[in-house]
Amino acid sequence: MNKQELLACFHEAATSPRKLMDKYLAEGRKVVLTAPVYTPEEIIHAMGMVPMGVWGADIQINEAKKYFPAFICTIMQSIVELGVKGAYDGASAIVIPSLCDSLKVIGQNWKYAVKGIPFIAMTYPQNRKPAFGHAFTKAGYEYVIKGLEDATGLKFEDEKLAESIEVYNAHNAAMRALVPALAAHAEITSAQRSDIFKSAFFMRKEEHTALVNELLAILDAEAADEGKIRIMTTGILADAPGLLEILDDNGMRIVCDDVAAESRQYRTDAPAEGESALDRLASKFCAMDNCSLLYDVEKKRVDKIVEDAKAAKAQGVLVLMTKFCDPEEFDYPLIKRACDKAQIPCVLIEIDRQMVNYEQARTAIETFKDLL
Amino acid sequence: MYTFGIDIGSTTSKCVVMEDGQNIVGSSLLVGGIGTKSPELAVSQALEAAGVTWDDLSATAATGYGRNRYENADYNVSELSCHGLGAHHIFPTVRTIIDIGGQDAKVISLDEKGRMNNFLMNDKCAAGTGRFLDVMANILVVPVDEFAAYCEKSDNPAQISSTCTVFAESEVISQLANGVNMEDLIAGICSSVAVRVGNLAKRINIVPDVCMSGGVAQNAGVRNALSQSIGHPILFSPKAQLFGAIGAALYAYQKQVKK
Repeated sequence: MNKQELLACFHEAATSPRKLMDKYLAEGRKVVLTAPVYTPEEIIHAMGMVPMGVWGADIQINEAKKYFPAFICTIMQSIVELGVKGAYDGASAIVIPSLCDSLKVIGQNWKYAVKGIPFIAMTYPQNRKPAFGHAFTKAGYEYVIKGLEDATGLKFEDEKLAESIEVYNAHNAAMRALVPALAAHAEITSAQRSDIFKSAFFMRKEEHTALVNELLAILDAEAADEGKIRIMTTGILADAPGLLEILDDNGMRIVCDDVAAESRQYRTDAPAEGESALDRLASKFCAMDNCSLLYDVEKKRVDKIVEDAKAAKAQGVLVLMTKFCDPEEFDYPLIKRACDKAQIPCVLIEIDRQMVNYEQARTAIETFKDLL
Repeated sequence: MYTFGIDIGSTTSKCVVMEDGQNIVGSSLLVGGIGTKSPELAVSQALEAAGVTWDDLSATAATGYGRNRYENADYNVSELSCHGLGAHHIFPTVRTIIDIGGQDAKVISLDEKGRMNNFLMNDKCAAGTGRFLDVMANILVVPVDEFAAYCEKSDNPAQISSTCTVFAESEVISQLANGVNMEDLIAGICSSVAVRVGNLAKRINIVPDVCMSGGVAQNAGVRNALSQSIGHPILFSPKAQLFGAIGAALYAYQKQVKK
């Protein structure tokens, strides 16, 4: 495929996940939904099923409001809304981790709101670095495995997990290589960049890795295009077409990111060594850092944002604040202070899953461009 | 050289004709913003006031919420950049601008040369905006432009604790029912806007001189309360509502000079 065909392929996958899910089901594969964030997809993959990410959608939320207060993350609300309305029908289960208070709530509501798709909790430890954190994580994975076996009748084998870890580590490597490659090619729009990341949640990882590597080879062979204003994005999500269009309209391009649904997913590999494949997978989570959802009293994430922005020569940092996201809101003053100290302009844009009008964001981004 | 700036806001349309990026030779201000006939009428009025025609203009720039819908301008510029330019033109010593418009509030920080170096916008919420004052004026049946006179006569401004406009509306009705006098109630309403916007401003490093722009700047009740809230005097110009349009005309001039 040529570059445009590859980008079209990512766009199709990113915008039509239900079509992909129907394809997997028609092929006789079972699909398991994976809610944000750091859900152990490798386990699902190892059991021969297709993990599909559920990060909600930009929709009007009605039914989910029966289960949530008004002032709660709309990513969570839209996941339940889609579940209630049958968008995920056919899925064998949903795995929801416990990394923020809203995520803890969604699982309990899911059990009552969405019939026919069993909820499996993945309870992560706050203190993941000590040995007991590793043991707690592993026990959580064992609970997920039990839940998946009960829900699907399929069996887990550690040897298969070792193979899946290789698939996922290869995907991580491809996605990590993608960021600087895209940074060197201003002709790829923010919307197209988002498609590549978003499609990763819906496509089978082997297929996605192959496409990303194909794109990387093409980009590598082409002359770099360093035009446009270089920005870094940080936040939970950065996939709203209305928002990305504003970045493209203003001649901005994302040269690196600290977005939970994008680069944060791919920073850490499962290590090569471990007592078992499941231990290696637990070690992967325990080694993760630099995320608002991962407990860290030192808040090393803040310094990493500044370091990454400098390394990628970003002219400014765009903080995409998901409305009512406490973990991100707690980090913002620190990020702002660190960026100010490093003399990197930083602007906050509030976003949620129910935005229909981006005019305020447009004004802020246009002003930010003037400031840069 | 004549340049033209139009600021199409949510509730008003403002136009300015400038000569050589220095003198305002014509201006207009009409109630009715985006989606109304006011922008076109405001253009005609400003040109007539300046004694020039559209063809005499060397460059034009549009700003405000409706800027992207206005197709006749050579340039579209964000209102924050324009308010910064306009305020600096009127008050060369200004470093912090607090703009309270019809539907939002913004704080703009300028460096010593008048270049914008930081800005903040409020949440998508009517509280702390001109809309809040309009809603309250409607309940009290007192025009907003009379609020300042009532504030001057207040001895004990009422407490409006709700930050939400809808809840504050109920609260004001309750206070009316409890016999709180109009002067204290209106002073409380102005203070409520001032505290909310003052807190927004405090998130930025407030460097004097401070001025206000936007329609609410005309309201001395809010202006004085805001000055108290942030602990700095606030410069006021009768042209405060035109700062955006002045900035747009200046932007057009600067672009033309650079050509």
